[in-house]
Amino acid sequence: MRVETAIARCRRDLTFGTFLKGVLAATAAACMVLGVGFGKGGAAALVGIGGVWAIWMTLNYRSVRASRIAAGSPLLIAAGDYDRAEAQIEEALWSFSLFRTVKLMSLHHLAVLRHAQRRWAEAALVASAVLHERRGTIRSLSTRSRLILADALLEMGDVHGAYAAIAALHQEKLSLQEALNLTLLQLDYQARIGRWEEMLQGMARKIQLVELMPAGNAARAQAFLALAAMKAGREELGAWLRKRVELLADTEDLVRERPILQEIWGVKKGAGENESGARIDERA
Amino acid sequence: MLEQSQPRGRSLWLWYAAGLFILVILTSSFMSKEAGHGAIAQLFSSLLMLLIVGAMGVYTWMTVRRVKLEQKQLEVVEELLQLRRWAEAAAMIGSVLSQPTKTPQARLLGLMFLTKILTRYQRYADATAVCEYLISLDVLDSDTTHAIRLERAMCMLHEDRLFDVDRAINELKRMPQAPRSSGLALLEIYRDVKTGHPAEALEIFNEKLPILRKQLGHRVADAYALIAKAHDSAGRMAEAQEAWEKATLLCPAVELRRRYVEIESVGEKYLAAAAPAEAA
Repeated sequence: MRVETAIARCRRDLTFGTFLKGVLAATAAACMVLGVGFGKGGAAALVGIGGVWAIWMTLNYRSVRASRIAAGSPLLIAAGDYDRAEAQIEEALWSFSLFRTVKLMSLHHLAVLRHAQRRWAEAALVASAVLHERRGTIRSLSTRSRLILADALLEMGDVHGAYAAIAALHQEKLSLQEALNLTLLQLDYQARIGRWEEMLQGMARKIQLVELMPAGNAARAQAFLALAAMKAGREELGAWLRKRVELLADTEDLVRERPILQEIWGVKKGAGENESGARIDERA
Repeated sequence: MLEQSQPRGRSLWLWYAAGLFILVILTSSFMSKEAGHGAIAQLFSSLLMLLIVGAMGVYTWMTVRRVKLEQKQLEVVEELLQLRRWAEAAAMIGSVLSQPTKTPQARLLGLMFLTKILTRYQRYADATAVCEYLISLDVLDSDTTHAIRLERAMCMLHEDRLFDVDRAINELKRMPQAPRSSGLALLEIYRDVKTGHPAEALEIFNEKLPILRKQLGHRVADAYALIAKAHDSAGRMAEAQEAWEKATLLCPAVELRRRYVEIESVGEKYLAAAAPAEAA
């Protein structure tokens, strides 16, 4: 599925859905007015309202079906079954729904899928399209889309775009999970632009947040902090964080995903490691 | 709480409204046939219909609002549990479950959170009872059932119900999640440490370490702490020191000792890793 086609289809359906809801509401209102104003047209008005109700219920049923299809894809993405997830998202996007949220949720799921597939440009494009549709977008959906956008832009090396997305996220009220994702994103961003001292600010709170992350993210976040500590000359803190990372994840995997982290284990072989390592052991 | 949180049956309110609606239509059609009353009856019935439709809309809106509020409360409880703010989580889950929940799903989620809080406060018998109730409902998916069975077995192990624990572990091993379950590995390690089988505990730990590390994150500290105890029981002091240092590198010693009373002696005997001042 081409993301450009999916975005165009979604936009067309959103416009058509809004138009259809307007027509149904106008018809129902007209039937009510006619029923009240003209005594003998009461039965016809009742039939009219009944007709509108029947159409609304039919479309509602189709919308619920579409939302059920859309709801299945996150589990498939989490399980790594991308082909089936793509087929479900395509079906949800191509089926009719009266509700904007269902359509936008399907488009958001497409962004999540492309992000999981590491197709960063497409993920960023779809996430931007979701954010572009401000009306009818639920808050959590826009926040999650912005997180995907920021991460995809960072992966593409667009630090300016990522900065704008991260800055916008700071204006929003975040859930704990979103705050954890933002913490990791921000550390990644700051490491790329070399803001080592800023990364070390509020260390105790950052450590608390990091400990709530899943193992992979916790290891990566602490590796960024370890790198910052080493760059800022805080060897003891750096060594402590590095040892925690080594207990949580394979360092080769971390370095493969973020080559900048190579420096941490490069330093380990030098004189700095012996010095800091010994200091930790002495304290123990 | 198990009884108080039962959702109420569907209200008959909607049936009354539907009956009233039909009554209005019939009265209106009867009166419109009577000479001289047609226009007034039509106006009256139209207004009444509008009123009924409006009242049903308001009722639906209020119901949806209450359901959303309950969902929001449960989300807050989940975050409080993650942040280990147990007292606040306990107070909030108490207020949610001490009255009928709006949906059965909210009740199940609330009860699952309740087991975690009870376990934290070391009320293992109560936590086991809630877990058993949840399992008996037979409405949860396989992964959730596996997690609840694990929680129940862990509570029983804390209470030294070793026979029940063995049976629970056998049941867990028959579930499809067993080969990839870090929780089951941790449970078996704890059982072996508690029953004085350090070699078996070490064997499981060495085999399952990649899964433990990947799935438990910082809670892998629990496994290292139990392994420190296993090494200590086997008289391998250096290995016990190393494992205890790793455990306390990821989690404060006081928290580990609170979770497992069996490692109290390890905490007194071996030196914990010290965290730098800025990270404490």
